[in-house]
Amino acid sequence: MYDFIEPALFAALTIATIASGAGVVLANRITTSALLMAFTFLNVAAMFLLLGAETVAMFQVLIYVGAITVLILYGVMFTPQSPRPYGLFFQTQKWWAAVFVVPIAIFVALVSFTFKDSATVAPRGGDLLPLATSVFRDFAFPFEVASVLLLAAMVGAIVLVKRDEE
Amino acid sequence: MPVGPFGIDPAIWAPLRLVIAVLLAVGLVFNGALAQIYLERKIQAIIQDRLGPLHTGPWGLLQTFADAIKLLGKEDIRARLTDKWFFLAAPSIVFSPMLASYVVIPFAPGIVGADLNVGLLYLTTLGSMTVLGIVIAGWASNNKYSLIGGLRSAGQLISYEVPQILSLVTVVLVVGTLSMVGIAESQPGWQLNVLVLPLAFVTYFIAGLAETNRAPFDLPEAESELVAGFLTEYSGMRWAIFFLAEYGEVTVVSSIVATLWFGAWHGPFVEVFPLLGVLWFTLKTYFFVLVFMWIRATLPRLRIDQLMSLCWKVLIPLTLTNLMVTAILLLVFPTTVVPVAIANWILLAFFVVALPYVQRRRLVALRERLRTAA
Repeated sequence: MYDFIEPALFAALTIATIASGAGVVLANRITTSALLMAFTFLNVAAMFLLLGAETVAMFQVLIYVGAITVLILYGVMFTPQSPRPYGLFFQTQKWWAAVFVVPIAIFVALVSFTFKDSATVAPRGGDLLPLATSVFRDFAFPFEVASVLLLAAMVGAIVLVKRDEE
Repeated sequence: MPVGPFGIDPAIWAPLRLVIAVLLAVGLVFNGALAQIYLERKIQAIIQDRLGPLHTGPWGLLQTFADAIKLLGKEDIRARLTDKWFFLAAPSIVFSPMLASYVVIPFAPGIVGADLNVGLLYLTTLGSMTVLGIVIAGWASNNKYSLIGGLRSAGQLISYEVPQILSLVTVVLVVGTLSMVGIAESQPGWQLNVLVLPLAFVTYFIAGLAETNRAPFDLPEAESELVAGFLTEYSGMRWAIFFLAEYGEVTVVSSIVATLWFGAWHGPFVEVFPLLGVLWFTLKTYFFVLVFMWIRATLPRLRIDQLMSLCWKVLIPLTLTNLMVTAILLLVFPTTVVPVAIANWILLAFFVVALPYVQRRRLVALRERLRTAA
């Protein structure tokens, strides 16, 4: 009887995600973009929740809203808050953007329309255990490689910005 | 037609339950904040050898009500050069994650908004979202002091999230669940987690002080150097919402401490009267709220570099060591937590003894350098 609620919610979240994602690129002010980005991430997290992947949803909010957006705002805050002409980098390159986006869009569309619902329904009890076993047991080696890569990137960033001490 | 609790159709009951839960949480936050402001004034007064509020109502009990009405009646001021929408949105961005935290707090057996199996992760997630509002408030105020307050807040909260989560993970390793109800049920009687993991408790408490911007970590709103930090341009009810959020956040952190380390609702006679759990839980939570106030009245504010070095050079290595030791000991001795407890107490003793020693060494080195420079 109330089966229509979940698809309706999902549709609303999809529209909100796409709209706020477009807003991130189209907005004139970078703070608005940053906030819209946080909103996009929240919508994606809500989608994960609807799909029963609550752990992924929590990490989505924790990392992307709580850390990445804040870091971006941290950088943005050093820009003066005064009306001035905005020449954002990506707003002047529409055609190049189209060239790169269209093939990916076609690919994603093809994949999503050929997608079939797998018959196996996830067991109740959340996605915490499946996620943990896949990351720390089945894919432990790629996970470690990724973390070493991130560590190297972090060390590199620190070396790059470190001032020479006299 | 399906019938849910109280003979109400489940399709109506679900949204109704949501409304009731939100109203209850709002009531808890508002009344809790009123009580905490009164307690804070009284306790600071006692510690500073004063009397505190005295004249409005018996023992000055009505003073905070009078203040709340005054705040509600104040004119809503917004300076012209502030950024309108961001300025207006910031208080709600700070307030709503705090309110949402109340969903998973286990007040008593069966009295919990939702027993999420990622409850603890949910709480840390919401805790990390408040930064966004504070940063926006600082930027939108278009005021140097506010901006510095917002920047400090971003740096401080992101840094202290790391030791905070690492301490929580240590508890999760021992208990084996992320659900707040599960963690509460895992410590019946005297088997409190604080006896097993005292160091995780201490590090979480320090990080929690920093997460909630409480003294001695209240650098984002340091009134002696930044006027009021990100709060400078706010007044009236918007300012009050920031403060409600802060007191609510203090309550949430205290209830996390009460749940994770002090057995949540467990206490005498809970098995007979489950509702008694609410009383035990409230008492435990407010005990830690009082400790927050005690610390505020006792310790001076840190400098920003001291704050950061405490986090990155002391707390993070310590919590990482603690996590690794706990994980290894749990793998070696899967049936007992006694080795974990011994290791944790030893690490805590090391922390307590080594910190003043290191501080003294640093002071000596600093004086030496000053003398050679002069």
